[in-house]
Amino acid sequence: MRRKASLVLLAFAVFFAVLAPLLRWYAFPRLAKIPPDEYQTAVLEAKPAVLLDYGTMRPKKVPQVSIVQTLRGNVAAAKKAGKAAGRDVVVWDALSYIAGPDGKMVSKIPERYVFDAHSQDPVHQGGEHVDGDPVRREGIEFKWPFLTEKRDYTYFDAQTRTSAPIHYKGTRTFRGLEVYYFEQTIPWTKVPLPKTMPVEGITPETVRKAGTTRWYTTKRMFWVEPTTGAPVNGEEIHREELRGGTLLGDRDKVTVFSGHVKMREDYIAHTVKLVKSQRQLVLLLTTYLPWGFLALGTGLLALSLVLEARGRRPGSDTGTPDEAPAPPPAPAPAPPVAPASPV
Amino acid sequence: MRALAAAAIGLAAAFALVLTVTALGAPGGKTSPKPLLTTVPEHP
Repeated sequence: MRRKASLVLLAFAVFFAVLAPLLRWYAFPRLAKIPPDEYQTAVLEAKPAVLLDYGTMRPKKVPQVSIVQTLRGNVAAAKKAGKAAGRDVVVWDALSYIAGPDGKMVSKIPERYVFDAHSQDPVHQGGEHVDGDPVRREGIEFKWPFLTEKRDYTYFDAQTRTSAPIHYKGTRTFRGLEVYYFEQTIPWTKVPLPKTMPVEGITPETVRKAGTTRWYTTKRMFWVEPTTGAPVNGEEIHREELRGGTLLGDRDKVTVFSGHVKMREDYIAHTVKLVKSQRQLVLLLTTYLPWGFLALGTGLLALSLVLEARGRRPGSDTGTPDEAPAPPPAPAPAPPVAPASPV
Repeated sequence: MRALAAAAIGLAAAFALVLTVTALGAPGGKTSPKPLLTTVPEHP
């Protein structure tokens, strides 16, 4: 009976010992993915900020500018792009809507971001664009890959439509979470005018015809939770200018926007809470279950060996029916009893 | 010999479980009906 039990335990020991690395290195990369139907919003604020008053064409200090960022997974487009690319693809339709202190639109930039659901590598299918301009992204945008590493990444900048390194600047603690801090500086660069301008009558064409160009610089900062790759906080020191042309009169340049943009407190709290729960799911597949299964497998193997050793001990009363102890040897014929010899 | 057979059963079961779970994958879901926001929301 003991030997049968030891064989069953051995089977379970192998099962769990093999399951541990399979879960970590085979199942996790295939199971961990960004769902195609994600819907997320984030609100960032610059308090105060400088905004161009298009009526006077002069910059004006305002108490607040809000940036509302929405990401919506387009499931149908993801399926189509995934078929064409031959892998799991996510398509995010995004909108960055900038509202002035009165809530009126200052700028709105739609985007389509197409990427691999597992690795987050960009996928050049499905009509990726920024403000209607076709783009070819390199690197990441919005989110880092699962199990983010302490290294520089390539980050796509939607304003310049180019990718540049975003530098790992160290590990920090943010609201009780260990996070990696990343920083990217985009130097003054000439960028396209938004397709939708805040004032009726002013279009990108009229600005262009006046010989005026739009320039932009930013320093963007992200605090990224490395297990999920999700940013839990983001900030930007962002400046935009119009330069040259007849639109500005005798001035060389005029500030369109200037401000230190920070994530709104309620969105930070919401994101931190969400990331803390998602992090546990990733850790379950990468750490808790693999190490737990390995320990369980080792324990079961030890138990199996102990039972096996006990089963083989001489004098043990164990044994499976088909391995029953050999029948006792036939009794030796009794020696003939010699008649007592007379003393 | 029996020990080998038991180990093989454990190995096969582990592979079968992992391959099945990864082949099933996650459900696809539907595109959210919520709009891309053009107003500042009060709370997340």
